[in-house]
Amino acid sequence: MSGEITADGRTFIHQHAAHCESGVASALFRNQGLDISETLVFGIGSGIFFGHLFFIKMVGLPITTFRAQPGAVFKKAGRRLGMKFVTRRFRSPQKGMDELRRLLREGKIVGLTTNIYWLSYFPDRFRFQFNGHNIIALREIEGGFRISDPILEYPVDCLTEDLERARFARGPLEPHGLMYYPESVPKNPDIRSACIDGIKDTCKMMLGIPLPIFGVRGIRFLARRIKNAPQKLGLSEACRHLANIVRMQEEIGTGGAGFRFMYAAFLQETAELFNSGEIAGLSQEMTAAGDLWREFAAVAARIIKKRGQSEDTFARVYEMLMDCASREETLFRKLKSAAGKLKS
Amino acid sequence: MKIKEVPQDITYYEGKKRACYALDDKGKYVIVPSSGWSTEEVVNGLAVAELAAKLEKTRQAVLQGLKSPLAYHMERRQMTTAILAKTAGICRFRVRRHFRPEVFVRLKASVLQRYAQALAITCQELKNVPGK
Repeated sequence: MSGEITADGRTFIHQHAAHCESGVASALFRNQGLDISETLVFGIGSGIFFGHLFFIKMVGLPITTFRAQPGAVFKKAGRRLGMKFVTRRFRSPQKGMDELRRLLREGKIVGLTTNIYWLSYFPDRFRFQFNGHNIIALREIEGGFRISDPILEYPVDCLTEDLERARFARGPLEPHGLMYYPESVPKNPDIRSACIDGIKDTCKMMLGIPLPIFGVRGIRFLARRIKNAPQKLGLSEACRHLANIVRMQEEIGTGGAGFRFMYAAFLQETAELFNSGEIAGLSQEMTAAGDLWREFAAVAARIIKKRGQSEDTFARVYEMLMDCASREETLFRKLKSAAGKLKS
Repeated sequence: MKIKEVPQDITYYEGKKRACYALDDKGKYVIVPSSGWSTEEVVNGLAVAELAAKLEKTRQAVLQGLKSPLAYHMERRQMTTAILAKTAGICRFRVRRHFRPEVFVRLKASVLQRYAQALAITCQELKNVPGK
């Protein structure tokens, strides 16, 4: 946590966060005077998800997503908390940068969607072509901007040309210079009913999408594909695929175990809000599911390292993922009925 | 995950730490900075090594005159043909044609300039690959 001055002389408190989007959204809300934690925003905005998009490839590997689509958390959380917010995209980079400067001079702080490759303040091994990283621009400085990136512990500087490239990068999910900020935040938002909405939406996404690649069914789908991978693709290809899944799960800003711990933290806060023992118990179950995901990652890494020489096999990983899926299925079913009983 | 289970294995974030959520002694979730996990090191190391090996292969191909330096610089920026084509504003099949060295050397300065702009390098850098 560290203080930082914005253009109009107010203090902005930078807080370290696990996930870029919920980190940015909660920081923007806090800056408007609504004291809210990252995990609450994450849960209200229904940030947790699962999908195995085998037909979309990044560097030749299928995408496994543990999060909802980029931008959804801010929008959903903002809407459910009754805020007015502005989102803008631009066709011309020049206009996009001018508008950003104008807003910063007014003393606003602005959330931006960027391509993580062009943000040169990151260590090289984090930089890859992904158009869904969120940061906050605090103020303009000489030759660049002061940036609060919630993934990092402290605010950083970013060169103007880097930021322009990052905001107007091309490729899948183009950001088109997307910027967003809350215009007005209600004094006493109904956090309780927002939590219920968020939980119900999440349960719907994890249980109710009638396609086998999303939600709990998606986890099973992925498990089956992993089990068959060594015969289908050969051992080294199968290892590559497995490594990619673990990367998506742990690598960038998931708070561990593909957001399971973050969601458990959200359930814990919700339990306190409603004083509900049932939700508190579900939070613990979520933690247990998260621990299992972590174990899956550790076993997978051993397989990859030893190239099939260890006693850990693909069948074992399959069992673990199936276990994760069945645990989460019962968990979300219970959560759905628990949320139905809660009164805002 | 409890606080003492938060991995502090490696420091490959170049001194930067990442936030993890973990349970404290009273069973309450708090943010704990982590310096890295050896599991991640394995999977991430694999991906990084793979990219580096592919890039080196392309560099050798350029030196042997099989590919143009454009192919190397595109891969160095971790771009695909589609991304480069959109960024430079040049049609995808033309970009692919420009991977051929004999086509690349005949390119006009204005086209080179667009590639250099898209890849954030100078025209001079674009025409060559690093020696080692």
